Amino acid sequence: MGRQVAIASAGFSEHASKRSDVSMPELVNEAIEDCLAKVPSVELNDIDAFVTGNMPAFEGSNMPELWMTDWMGGRDKPLMRVTTGGTTGGSVAISGYYTVTAELPGIDTVLAVSFEHQSQGDTSVGLASVAYGEISILNSLGIPYTQLNNLLSAGAAIGVAAYQATTYMNKCKITEEDLARVVVQNRRNAAKTWWAHLKMPDLTIEDVLDTPYVQYPLRYGMVCPASDGAVAMLFTTEEKAKDMCDIPVYVNGVASVANETAVLGYDGSGSAQVDPSAQIGAMKSAELAYSQAGISLPRKEIDYAEVYAPFPNQELMWVEKLGLFEETTAPEMYKTGVTARDGELPVNCSGGVNSTNAIGASAMERPAVSALQIMGKAGNQVPKTVHTSIGSGWGGSLNFITLMAMSDEPKRKWK
Amino acid sequence: MDKVGIVGYNQVKLYTDANYGRYEMIFEAVRGAIDSAGLKKKDVSTVVSATNDYYDGRTISNCFTVEVGGAYLADESKVEMDGAHAMLYGLLRILSGNHKLAVVWGGSMPSSYPYHSARLYETDPTWERPNGYVNDITASGFQMRAYMDKYGVSREDIAKVAVKNRKNAAKNPLAVEESQNPNITLSNVLESDIYADPVTELMVAPPCDGVAAVLLAPEKQALKITDKPVWITGVGWNQETYYLGERDLTTSNSMEKAGKMAYDAAGINDPRNEIDLAELSELYAHEELIFSEALGLAEKGKGSQLSSEIGGELPINASGGAIGGDAPCATGLIRIIDAVKQIRGEAGEYQVNNVNRAIATGQIGMCAQNNIVYVLEGGK
Amino acid sequence: MSEKIIEKNKGLVKADFSFWVGLWMDKFYDGFEQKKILANKCPQCGTVFVPPRKICGKCKVQLPLDENWMELGDTGTLVNFTRTAYKVTDRRARKAKSLNDIGMVKINGSDTAIIYPLLDFEPDEIKIGMDVKIKWADEPKGGPSDIEGFVNV
Repeated sequence: MGRQVAIASAGFSEHASKRSDVSMPELVNEAIEDCLAKVPSVELNDIDAFVTGNMPAFEGSNMPELWMTDWMGGRDKPLMRVTTGGTTGGSVAISGYYTVTAELPGIDTVLAVSFEHQSQGDTSVGLASVAYGEISILNSLGIPYTQLNNLLSAGAAIGVAAYQATTYMNKCKITEEDLARVVVQNRRNAAKTWWAHLKMPDLTIEDVLDTPYVQYPLRYGMVCPASDGAVAMLFTTEEKAKDMCDIPVYVNGVASVANETAVLGYDGSGSAQVDPSAQIGAMKSAELAYSQAGISLPRKEIDYAEVYAPFPNQELMWVEKLGLFEETTAPEMYKTGVTARDGELPVNCSGGVNSTNAIGASAMERPAVSALQIMGKAGNQVPKTVHTSIGSGWGGSLNFITLMAMSDEPKRKWK
Repeated sequence: MDKVGIVGYNQVKLYTDANYGRYEMIFEAVRGAIDSAGLKKKDVSTVVSATNDYYDGRTISNCFTVEVGGAYLADESKVEMDGAHAMLYGLLRILSGNHKLAVVWGGSMPSSYPYHSARLYETDPTWERPNGYVNDITASGFQMRAYMDKYGVSREDIAKVAVKNRKNAAKNPLAVEESQNPNITLSNVLESDIYADPVTELMVAPPCDGVAAVLLAPEKQALKITDKPVWITGVGWNQETYYLGERDLTTSNSMEKAGKMAYDAAGINDPRNEIDLAELSELYAHEELIFSEALGLAEKGKGSQLSSEIGGELPINASGGAIGGDAPCATGLIRIIDAVKQIRGEAGEYQVNNVNRAIATGQIGMCAQNNIVYVLEGGK
Repeated sequence: MSEKIIEKNKGLVKADFSFWVGLWMDKFYDGFEQKKILANKCPQCGTVFVPPRKICGKCKVQLPLDENWMELGDTGTLVNFTRTAYKVTDRRARKAKSLNDIGMVKINGSDTAIIYPLLDFEPDEIKIGMDVKIKWADEPKGGPSDIEGFVNV
């Protein structure tokens, strides 16, 4: 049951706040071209099956891969759509892995594609509509709808992130400077990544702290952008990958353990997830993925990490929750350069989600970059040799996570 | 392909406008499925749901369903297609060896959203959508006319499918009440209002509220959980091109390819004689004929000559099919459940005798742009 | 059993979308402004596309932006049609009092058909295979509604 899966390539489209030069299908096609360009022995027609996803609320298009079939090369091929909100990209990548490992007859090579053409829609409405059903309970308590709408639209995702930030900051005694430091590292890394959005090679901590608050403790300069972009990953068998590329990257562990939703719960009935920085789902995901991948000491065994963090407090939280650093030590790791490009455990050398956030794509860009770092083909390639890396995603109502653990050796073993 | 068994299932009664809410309905379906297998929530390793953000009127439509769908602290994901496609992902997760029990559920409540508008959002926004001339309604009219025109199939032949399925639905307690028509006649169907000529209203599967769930397990576990596992011996899925003006609407290319993929995996060479029963997601009466031809159950253009009633040679949609109630995102999964019931002898009044091997299909997109086919078998 | 109280909350959420059409469709709509139908052709299989494409779905090759374009005329063949009273918009579907004819037409020279209303036809006039002609809007704006529909030739 199940076979080793390898990543043979990953590709990106250019990301920007408005990719007005392309229609949505053309944007997707760009990423697919970039992915296949790295594996000249593979043509679009050689793909056995496709998996794809995005966050459909952002473009006002329901199941856009139906319309985009031809541009993806999906005509007359098996195609599956997976969407899970902010973690969509990670879920699509994981479904790419599952489609290959299942060993269905004739399904060996799978192209996983995720994207977002956010400039076509209204990001805040798209995000706010997660909870309209739940928020409307407040309407029956007398709060008018327009006011609720403003409440949600003013920063749906940032609202919950700010809540998560304060609980974490309280537990771990971090300062705003610690937050700004993470942002500076990301944006400077993005400047060296050709497809990234916010490239800021000279950004300083003072620059970040000099911006107004959007919602305490998050300042405007700390917030991720809304980007248009697409990403594609090529999954295949161990044998075929060896013919396609020099260094196949093996997918050894995958997990997406869900937590219950935070904030309002069902129909405003309240949620038991009182501390959204506890992230039990994330910790279980790490446990599951690492045990599949044979990683018992993540701090020592993982060489590189792309951690999904639209906001800097989340990066500090996740590197701890995912076992890379001891709890409360993350800020120190950033201060002392452990997570820098030339550090012991580089994190987010692509600039991370903080620099580029095409929401449907960003959770796939994390494992995509981590895989390219192992291959030596990443935009901002780290100097050390990367053997084992992870890519994570986060989303939902603070309750979703995706995690993929990869290595240059096939380590997944089945009992 | 390793053996994976369906070890439990549950489907809620379909209503045009259910008198209860989304979360209760999901809980009813999933809890009922887990209970039916004699299992507990803690046995659940992975959950795959099928919902659609536009049908649920909310983005990340699976995010608040974690608890009611049995996914709390389970490895969870969502397929935004039909429930039958979600079962594909559940199947892949079991075949991976990573999981020992999968819950697959799907459904939506069209009583709470404008169905045709939500379908309109599937169309090309840079070309067809602003005008609205291409929508699920007109698409059905184009396909029925193309099919009739090429093969000389009559309106009566197509209306007969609607009559058969509505009478079958009357024997299915879970079908939507409005489709349970034991005394319906051919003229009733032909003389009902024009939907999109030549399609009439009674030829159309009515969108309705509903959720369904199934449980999957690998062979070893399946044999321990139930003494009547139903094995998935073949699966195939395929998507054809989007533009109606570029497709051959007289047949279903994607169904043909999906069927071939499933048959090859299951070792079926002569579907007409090797399959005992079919449950097809026919959103319109003519789709049942087109699908049965694409699946090799009849020659092209001759689908109407199949003896497909409950006592017939190859019963199709003994449950009433989608015409008995189309709960978007659940329909294909309900077809699977109805095939499972037939194999396990649990189909009550619409039971067909000696069903050991059945096929079930699901679809998504205009004129069934993407189809998925399963071969299901009983026995050990 | 106690009485159930069901509260209905109504509110309107506005979400505007606008779609980038990309460079190929952009050129196509520029043609509309001049009441012209532009098409492009796949260099490999020879399929002529209306509207034009960047990718040929069959061959999976790119069609260049500046080559293999052609101008087609206003006439075409009716390949399919339907008749419905339903009008579907982004907000709802409603049933009008009378039926509208919608036709699927292959413009002469094109391999793909387009779908627009059949204007001012008597029901028994509509036959598959008949010749029809585009009726353009008086002042085209460079968008899909510049074609109002088809009329009898």
